[in-house]
Amino acid sequence: MDKTVRKLRPSDYWRIGEHESWFQDMAAKGFHLKKMGLRFAHFVKGEPKKMRYRIDVTMKKKITPEKIEMYEDSGWDYVTGYQYFQVYSSPVEREAPELHTDPAEQSFTLRALDKKLVFIVVIVVVALLFIIGMMSAIWFLDGTPTFVLVDGFVVQQTIVSILIVYLAYISLQAAISIRALRKDLIEGKPINHHAPWKKHYRLNSVLAFLFTIVAGLSAIVPFGQLIKSDTQTLPEGNLDLPIVRLADVEQNPALVRGESYMIDDVDWGNRYRYNWSPIAPIQYESDENGVVPGKMWGDGSGEYSPSINTRVYLLRVPALADNLIADLIKRFNYEYSDDDFVEAKHADLDLLIVHEEDEIKEVFASKGKAVIYVRYYGYADINLVIENIVDKIKLITE
Amino acid sequence: MAYNGGPMTEAMYYVLLALMHPNHGYQLMHAITEVSNGRLKMGPGTLYGVLSRMQKDGLISLSEDDGRRKTYQITSEGEHALRTEYSRLKSLIQDGNILEIGDENG
Repeated sequence: MDKTVRKLRPSDYWRIGEHESWFQDMAAKGFHLKKMGLRFAHFVKGEPKKMRYRIDVTMKKKITPEKIEMYEDSGWDYVTGYQYFQVYSSPVEREAPELHTDPAEQSFTLRALDKKLVFIVVIVVVALLFIIGMMSAIWFLDGTPTFVLVDGFVVQQTIVSILIVYLAYISLQAAISIRALRKDLIEGKPINHHAPWKKHYRLNSVLAFLFTIVAGLSAIVPFGQLIKSDTQTLPEGNLDLPIVRLADVEQNPALVRGESYMIDDVDWGNRYRYNWSPIAPIQYESDENGVVPGKMWGDGSGEYSPSINTRVYLLRVPALADNLIADLIKRFNYEYSDDDFVEAKHADLDLLIVHEEDEIKEVFASKGKAVIYVRYYGYADINLVIENIVDKIKLITE
Repeated sequence: MAYNGGPMTEAMYYVLLALMHPNHGYQLMHAITEVSNGRLKMGPGTLYGVLSRMQKDGLISLSEDDGRRKTYQITSEGEHALRTEYSRLKSLIQDGNILEIGDENG
C-alpha cells in the first residue's frame, strides 16, 4: 500500500502561486499530492518526478465532468480540491499547454471569491467590534482588570476573543491578497508558479502551533473551572480551610447559626465556594451568618446577628497581590472613599489595609502569593479579624 | 458583470469567432488556433472560463449536451456582439492608418 505522508502546509490557502510551487517541489522529492486537509497536505510517497501543478478557483462545490475532461484532453489531471481551490497536475515531459493563457480572463475566475471574502471580512469585523466592546466592558468598566484576571471567569471568553481577532486578521489578509492577485491578473501579470514558499512555511508553522495551543487552552480552562469549582454548605464545626470563621472572631459560645435560605441543598447564608483559574489556582469564598439569642444590637434594631464574608486567593505570581488588593477595594467598596482604607503594619503580612466604620470591619491582607479579604459585620475587635487572617494565611503559604 | 457591449478580451473574440461553427471543448481549442492562424494557443482553463461566462451572458448556447460532451454555438446576440466588436476593431485599424501614411512620408 502507498504510504501517506502528512505535511503542514506552508502558506495560507489564498497564496496560490506558493502552493503550486510547493506541490512541485514536493513532487520533485517524491511526495505526490493526494489530498489537502485544513492544516496538513497528504502526500503519497513515490518516485521523484518533475511535475507542474496549477490551482484553479471556482465557488462551485462540484466541478463539471466537462471541465475535468477538457483539462484532461489538454494534459491536466485533476488531483484534489479544497474549499474554492482545485489542483491539477501534469508531468513536465507531457508539455501540456498552460492552463490559463490569459491573465485578464483568469481574473474573472477570482471575482466571486473576491466578493465572498469581502463579505466575510465585513461580518467578522462587525463581530469583532461587538466582542471588543463587550470584553473591554468586562475587563475595564469597573477598573478592576487584575480582579477579573485572577477570578478567571472571563478567561475563556477572552481566549475565544483572541481567536476571533486572529480569524479577523486571517480573513482580512485573505481578502486583501485575493484582491491584489486579481488586480495583477487584470494588469496582465500572470501568477508566479514558482513563488518562494519557505518564508511563509516557518511563519505558518509557528502560527498553527500557537493557534492549536490557544484553542486547546480555551477548551481546557472551562473544564478546569467546572471540575474544580463547587459551592457547599459551611459545616458548623472546624474546617481545615483558610477561611476566617465567624465563631473564631465572635468568641461567644452562645453564637448560633443564623437563618438563611436553601438553594440546591446549599445554605446560601452559610456557604463556601472553591474555584480555580489559571492565574489563581486556589480560591475560596465564604459567607457565614450568626445570631446570639437574647443579645441585641446597640441601636435596638433586633437580635445581634453578625456576619462574615471571606475571599481567599493563592496566586501564581506574588507580584499580582498588591494590584489584586487595590482592585478588591475598588470592586467591593460600595459607598466609601479610597481614603477610608488605611494601610497598617503587621510583622507577618506583606500588605495590610483596614477599614473600620461602626460595625463594618474590612481587612485586606497579603503574604507572598496569598491574598485574603475579610468583610466582617459585628462588634468584635478588628484585631481579632487580623489575627485570624494571619493564622489562615499560614495555612496556604506554608 | 454581464457583457455590456464594451471591448472584448482577445479570448472572448476568438472563442466567438471559432463558434461560428458549433464545436466542443477540446476541438474548440484547435479551432481557435486555426482561426487565429496559429497565433493564439488558448489554455483549457482560459477557454473553460470564457465559455461559462459567455454562456451566462447569453452570447453562446449549448446546441447539444449528451451529458458528457457539450457542444456550443454562438447565439444571435453573440453574433451581433461579435460583429459590433469586429467593426470596432476595423475602425481601430482604419484610424491607425495615419501611422502607415506617416511611415510613407518619413
